[in-house]
Amino acid sequence: MAVQSDGPAEEIKRLRRCINDLVSVLALPATWTGSDPSRIVGDLLGALLNMLSLDFVYARVRDLEGTDLELVRTATEWKPKPGAQAIGEMVRPWLRIDAQDFPHPVRVTLEGREMSVVPLQLGVQGETGIVIAGSSRADFPQQTEKLVLSVAANQAAVGLQASNLLSAQRRVASRLDQHVVQRTAELGATNEELRKEIAERKSVEKRLGQEETELKHSEAHKAAILDSSLDCIVAMDHEGSITEFNPAAERTFGYSKQDVIGKHLADVIIPPWRREQHRSGFARYLATGKSRVLGRRIEMTALCADGREIPIEIAITRIPQDGPPSFTGYLRDITERKRNEDALLETHAKLARSEERWRSVFENSAIGVALTDLNGRFIAANPLFQKMLGYTEEELKQLSFIDITVEEDRNLNWMLINELLEGKRRQFRIEKQYRRKNGSTVWVRNSVSVVPGTERSPGFLMALSEDVTERRLAEEALNETRSELALMARVTTLSTLTASIAHEVNQPLSGIVTNASTCLRMLDADPPNLEGARETARRTIRDGNRASEVVARLRALFSKKNATFEMFDFNEAVKEVAALSVSELQRNRVILQSELAVDLPSVLGDRIQIQQVILNLIRNGSDAMSIVDDRSRDLLIKTECDENSGVRLSVKDSGVGIDSEVEKKLFQAFYTTKSDGMGIGLSVSRSIVERHQGRLWAIRNEGPGATFIFSIPCSTNT
Amino acid sequence: MKSPDGSSTIRRPLVAIVDDDESVRESLPDLLGEFGFEARVFPSAQEFLVSDSLGLTKCLVLDIAMPGMTGFDLQQELKLRGNKIPIVFMTAQKDESVRKRALERGAVGFLLKPFSDTALLGALNTALGLG
Repeated sequence: MAVQSDGPAEEIKRLRRCINDLVSVLALPATWTGSDPSRIVGDLLGALLNMLSLDFVYARVRDLEGTDLELVRTATEWKPKPGAQAIGEMVRPWLRIDAQDFPHPVRVTLEGREMSVVPLQLGVQGETGIVIAGSSRADFPQQTEKLVLSVAANQAAVGLQASNLLSAQRRVASRLDQHVVQRTAELGATNEELRKEIAERKSVEKRLGQEETELKHSEAHKAAILDSSLDCIVAMDHEGSITEFNPAAERTFGYSKQDVIGKHLADVIIPPWRREQHRSGFARYLATGKSRVLGRRIEMTALCADGREIPIEIAITRIPQDGPPSFTGYLRDITERKRNEDALLETHAKLARSEERWRSVFENSAIGVALTDLNGRFIAANPLFQKMLGYTEEELKQLSFIDITVEEDRNLNWMLINELLEGKRRQFRIEKQYRRKNGSTVWVRNSVSVVPGTERSPGFLMALSEDVTERRLAEEALNETRSELALMARVTTLSTLTASIAHEVNQPLSGIVTNASTCLRMLDADPPNLEGARETARRTIRDGNRASEVVARLRALFSKKNATFEMFDFNEAVKEVAALSVSELQRNRVILQSELAVDLPSVLGDRIQIQQVILNLIRNGSDAMSIVDDRSRDLLIKTECDENSGVRLSVKDSGVGIDSEVEKKLFQAFYTTKSDGMGIGLSVSRSIVERHQGRLWAIRNEGPGATFIFSIPCSTNT
Repeated sequence: MKSPDGSSTIRRPLVAIVDDDESVRESLPDLLGEFGFEARVFPSAQEFLVSDSLGLTKCLVLDIAMPGMTGFDLQQELKLRGNKIPIVFMTAQKDESVRKRALERGAVGFLLKPFSDTALLGALNTALGLG
């Protein structure tokens, strides 16, 4: 090593620098507290490199476990950097040499650089590690630099040892911790198991406690059941002795529990006449296991304390348990029930009889009966109704009464039903037609009423239905007959009058022929009697006109078919008829007289028909006198005002009169006293008069004969 | 009737007509006049009976259907009185039984209205025995 021949200033600088470096180095360990070896070494190398401007600094340390750590720091401008291994190789041989023997500094060549290297031992004997500092400076290492390096090495060693110690401590601590954790875990597990066991034991204890409570409750409950039961509960052991006798049994039989406990059941509540049966049955059961009474409800007779025998219902069961059998009987006094049953049966029988009776009425009724719901749907129909309609009851149940009513009658029917349902009427009658199953129709007269509902059943409609087809057909036939009769009346009158017409016309005709003949003769005379001829010719013409007048009048009488009402002069009408009848009356030697009231009001009616009536009365009057020979045949026609502001016509004859027998039948159709008459005149006449709102009647005269009178109002009130 | 020599010395026979029908009474006399008869008319049987023609009538033309006394009644009456005047009945009734009855009663003739003049003449001639 060359001694520097610096000046004092330089020396002071160098020394100052050295002191600073030493201060820094001495401060280093403070920063290494708790650090790991690599950091310590790293710091150290870094610090040395900078402080001493080294080219490189290398360290190798060994920890307590013998692991080596190599680190190198190189000056930045040295490129490429020599790696830690390269340096490590270089220094390897030096490591075996004792430190004392270290030739330091040593001149080496590293990567083409010549440099001085200073090795430093870490630890007292280098056991901790080694640091090598190298520089290519010529003056390396100076004294001061050596000092710094040594101190730094010391500090590093101290720091490293401290770190090693710390890490060793840590390791131990951690191992201890692990042990503790493990142990703790083991203890914890054991604890857990113990805890579970305790919990289980507790829950078992709890359950046992509950069961005991339940048992206690159950016992109490059972006792309560027995005590509160309204049914008698009697228990018996295998010998047949009573083991239980609940309060209800006490009440029913009249014993107290202590009286009967231990006694034989048979002796207490079984009547003497049944005891043998019971005993043998019981014995049989015990022997064979078979019984007729076990497990079912049966009725039998039991004996009470006061000697009464009562009917009871009893169910005996065997109590399931090991050992000898015991039995429980549940029984009740059914005296009341039996009484009720009998009463019920009787009521039922009465109802059944009543039902039977009504059913019979329904079935056998001579009138059709049908029931429908409030919508009109059939619920029931008796055989007659079914027959009337041609439907079975089942078929009818698919239909409503509207379905089988002909269309034209449906509206009226509905209207009436609605009035019924709304309460506007209690019942109604209707004549209508049903359509049978086969399509034909039948006239019925129905009386319909509502049967109100009860809580249990809804209301329904009831129809009593009478087949009136025959009657209606008869009525229709009768109406037809009446029309025919009316027609026939006209025809008959016509035929009778045809004779009159013939007679009427004949008179002028005779005159015509006679006069004409005379006229010709007169003209043939020599000289011709012109005056006479003229006269006879004139008469001829006149008679011809007369004849046609008659025909015209009579035609008018019979041309009208329907009644047409108009105002007409009553007297004039009467006169016309009288004129028509004159010849016939004369033929019959009837003297016709008329007394027609003056100022008779006009009348509203069918003139022709009224004339028919008058004609009829006149004819009748005339006929009534046909056998009269001992007196004159007088026919009086009289018109007058009727008291009800109408007109009245009377035709009075002096004929045979009407006796009481005849009087009743007088106006009946087909009644006649004449051998050649049809007897329709009066009946038809009456119809005509009544159609005019009038009346036609007959009275016996004070003298001989009868008077037929009719009156009609002047105007009809429609 | 005039005699062949033109003098009217023979009295014309009197024929009585009894009929309630006016046209008959009106028309027959002229016709009978043409026939050369004298005619007198009566509206009823009673009138005829009380008339003075009763004894003079040579023939009676009598309607059957009349009010009061009918033709048959009059015939009966005349019979009762012993009057034998020949009667010719006339009627409008076509009834055959009437005709029969008339003839049974001894009618000389029966005429159905309307009748022709020749029929009338024939009946009259028969009644008067004039062929």
